[in-house]
Amino acid sequence: MNNWKDSKSVFITTFLPGTVWLTAFFLVPLGFVWVMSFGEKYGIIDIVITWTPNNYLRAVESIYLGIIWKSVWISALVTALCLMVSFPIAFAVSFAKDKWKPILLLIIILPFWINLLIRTYALIAVFRTRGHVNFGLEWLWEKANAGLILIGLGKHQFLGEKFQPLAMLYNDFSVIAGLTYVYIPFIVLPIYAMLERLDRSYIEASLDLGASQIRTLFSIVIPLTLPGIIAGVILVFIPCLGSFVIPDLLGGTNSQMIGNVIERQFKSANDWPFGAALSFLLMYVMFGVLAMRSLLTVRKSEMKV
Amino acid sequence: MMLAIFSRQRERPGPLEYTRQFWLRLMVFTTMTMLYAPIVGLVVFSFNDSKRNIVWRGFTFDYYLKAWHNDGLIDAFVNSLTIAVIATLISTIIGTSVALILWRFRFPLKPIYEGTMALPIVVPEICMGVAMLVFFSRVGWPSGGPWPLNLSAITIAHISFCFPFVAVVIRARLSGFNREFEEASRDLGANEWQTFRHIIFPFIRPGLISGALLAFTLSIDDFIITFFTSGPNTVTFPVKIYSMVRFSITPEVNAASTILIVITIITTLLAMWFQTSSRFYKLSKEGAP
Amino acid sequence: MASRSNHDLSRRHFLKNTSAIAAGLTFHPFKATAKEEKRLNFYNWDTYIGETTLDDFKSKTGIVTQMDLFADSDELFTKLREGNPGYDVIVPANDYVERMNVAGILMPIDHDKIPNLSNINKLFLDADFDPGRKVSLPYMWGTLGIGYNKGNVSTPINSWKVLYDSDEYSGRISLLSESADVIHMALKYIGHSLNTTNPAHFKQVEELVIAQKQHIKVFAPDNGQDLLASSEVDIAQEWNGDIAQLMTEDDAFTYVVPKEGGLIWQDCLCVPKGAPHPENAHAFINYVFDADVGAEIANSIQYATPNEAARGKLGDDYKLNPAIFPPDEVIAKCESTLYLGEEVQRIIEDTWTRIKAS
Repeated sequence: MNNWKDSKSVFITTFLPGTVWLTAFFLVPLGFVWVMSFGEKYGIIDIVITWTPNNYLRAVESIYLGIIWKSVWISALVTALCLMVSFPIAFAVSFAKDKWKPILLLIIILPFWINLLIRTYALIAVFRTRGHVNFGLEWLWEKANAGLILIGLGKHQFLGEKFQPLAMLYNDFSVIAGLTYVYIPFIVLPIYAMLERLDRSYIEASLDLGASQIRTLFSIVIPLTLPGIIAGVILVFIPCLGSFVIPDLLGGTNSQMIGNVIERQFKSANDWPFGAALSFLLMYVMFGVLAMRSLLTVRKSEMKV
Repeated sequence: MMLAIFSRQRERPGPLEYTRQFWLRLMVFTTMTMLYAPIVGLVVFSFNDSKRNIVWRGFTFDYYLKAWHNDGLIDAFVNSLTIAVIATLISTIIGTSVALILWRFRFPLKPIYEGTMALPIVVPEICMGVAMLVFFSRVGWPSGGPWPLNLSAITIAHISFCFPFVAVVIRARLSGFNREFEEASRDLGANEWQTFRHIIFPFIRPGLISGALLAFTLSIDDFIITFFTSGPNTVTFPVKIYSMVRFSITPEVNAASTILIVITIITTLLAMWFQTSSRFYKLSKEGAP
Repeated sequence: MASRSNHDLSRRHFLKNTSAIAAGLTFHPFKATAKEEKRLNFYNWDTYIGETTLDDFKSKTGIVTQMDLFADSDELFTKLREGNPGYDVIVPANDYVERMNVAGILMPIDHDKIPNLSNINKLFLDADFDPGRKVSLPYMWGTLGIGYNKGNVSTPINSWKVLYDSDEYSGRISLLSESADVIHMALKYIGHSLNTTNPAHFKQVEELVIAQKQHIKVFAPDNGQDLLASSEVDIAQEWNGDIAQLMTEDDAFTYVVPKEGGLIWQDCLCVPKGAPHPENAHAFINYVFDADVGAEIANSIQYATPNEAARGKLGDDYKLNPAIFPPDEVIAKCESTLYLGEEVQRIIEDTWTRIKAS
């Protein structure tokens, strides 16, 4: 890694675009909202900046912390599921014949160019009581039942009197399934990018030395693709934590995530200072985690050099 | 020992030919089926002759005609596409520059810079949406103007949250770059720009493509931030769909989505065809050191 | 309401002027004395207009209407509170009209430019939330009650109990997802006015709904009629027009306003400040109040029209439909929401957050 003073012109060229844009069109707007989190409502739409800590004090009440904890749990579960599903796919595409790669990538990416709301509604059509899965299961049930009756076991009603549809919608299951469905590509792409540059000879060497495929996977492949995995995990966990559209549409009476609460503050509750405080609280936590990670990486790379 | 299981196969896949191994194929197949099943259902039911669209009642093209003549829907779609293309281009450029600087240079306050660059990923979308709304109204950003200038507010907001994602992806790719190539290039007399163009750029190209794809997906799908920054005549597709499905989802929405899918496939295939295959594969082979 | 300090007056004044100037600059590149462009920006609920109304308006006046959609009143309010992004006509519900008026977002409507106002039922020409109808004019009105599948219930429904206090149809019922709607109807069930400000009443509601949550399938965002049609639930808290539309397609369903009383609401046409085409806005409102046009709209969307002349043109299946035009004794038990101030809003929201989190 060079010192910035070594090639100043290059440094400036790469420094300016990101910094200028970020400052003007992100930090400044966010600054407005940050200031707002110390404000109070005055009338219906006015906000007076009194530099009060009340909004933050309210944000750390147990009810909100409880909701945040639940959201963290759900996001962690979704991230783990995404990882487990995406890794084999990224693997398969990366090791496929070259002429198949773009096509496979396209097939994976394609569902995610379809609008999120539409996919969510498609999921509803799949999960609901009179949805595709239940229709399918009902068909199977009837065939199995008919079979049982045929062999004379009908009256025992082994399969129950009537087909009981699975309750797959409007509960935590549907929220987790929906979130996983939506966030898979955010993991597949970084892992695929890392796998692509993975030196195959490492794997060959490991196998030659007698390690099994699984051991090779865990001892060689995963550590080498770790940056991609971490990138993917961050790209999923954090937006998932703040999501509200999917819990809103797919969730039941118990599925409330912190994103929903924040959204309500900006809309029906019309309490923008409190909404700002809640979002910033969430952000401070996430920011701390990220800063820790970057400090660890710096220390690691310094050790390597 | 795993390989022994597959020795019954006609042509044994090599140890690294994972894609030909049965269990992986099965896993991938199952996953793809589950990914596509809702979408297939969506497409099939776009031909359903039933306003409520719950059980299949008959085949019809009516809803396609309705969607085709729905000017609002078409305008919204064109807006979405325009914004996504411009945002992707600019985000990729900015994201690359950020990834490069983080990869290459040590400078004071670097961890803080890194953290700040990651902020758009961390900020809840609704918070950012409100921030942009407040910002544009306080600054007095002109919201009218001829197309596509009236989309500027939305595009700017999209770029702001897209480029960090691109930076993350490219950075992950860069971390595997062997700096000796770069040094060798400089030793041989190439200047910075030439080194970048001929050595670094081809290497990060898969990362660039992944990053651009990600940015495009994020932009075209975005709902919350767009909602806060849009106004009359600048409705995008997700915002339009959201308000349509709040009441009830008729097959018209399915039909519109199917048309969108078909257009996406055709566009991508064209893009890939233009990018002559041999050049692409040569470069991606170059990428692995 | 509290009086504003000078500081805030000038800040808001500045904001208003800036957005007005910005809007003016963008939509009127030349001085505003020029005739208005033949455009109208209409911000409305989805499908809340007749099928051919906008096209007919264009044929008649040459004005092209762009209709943008919002999904709930909060969205409308959030969009407009920081300055009008360019809409000419909006459709808020009665309590939001009050709220917006207090916030100073609405422009007075010139009744002289609306000769068709004579078609409107006199009862609607004054209202608690807008005395003298200065900033709003009635568009549609209706009730909030219960829609249900006649075949799947043991006895005809006539009380909120089955939704708020009973496990008889556990897992087969749904409520709305707006905090205010659920909480207000719970208040009616318990026997209080929905315009109460007593925190103890809200506490009762909180306990009631939390206890009932296990039986509720979902808090449906305005698509209860879809849930009924797809047999996801058998009983749904829903707006009368949605159920009336469902009833025209499938007569297995019916609608009732429970005996404890329901909500009576009124959606209004308003012109927000900073509208780029106020003349066209007035022309549009006048057009909508025409008898034939009003009849076409009412027939499409199956809500109750305040337009007497339009109502006269429609058939009995509309006029005598109890789901659309409830009998007087039902109306007597219903209440309208009043805007009670931000403190009460906050209590409602906190109650709702606690309900959803438990």
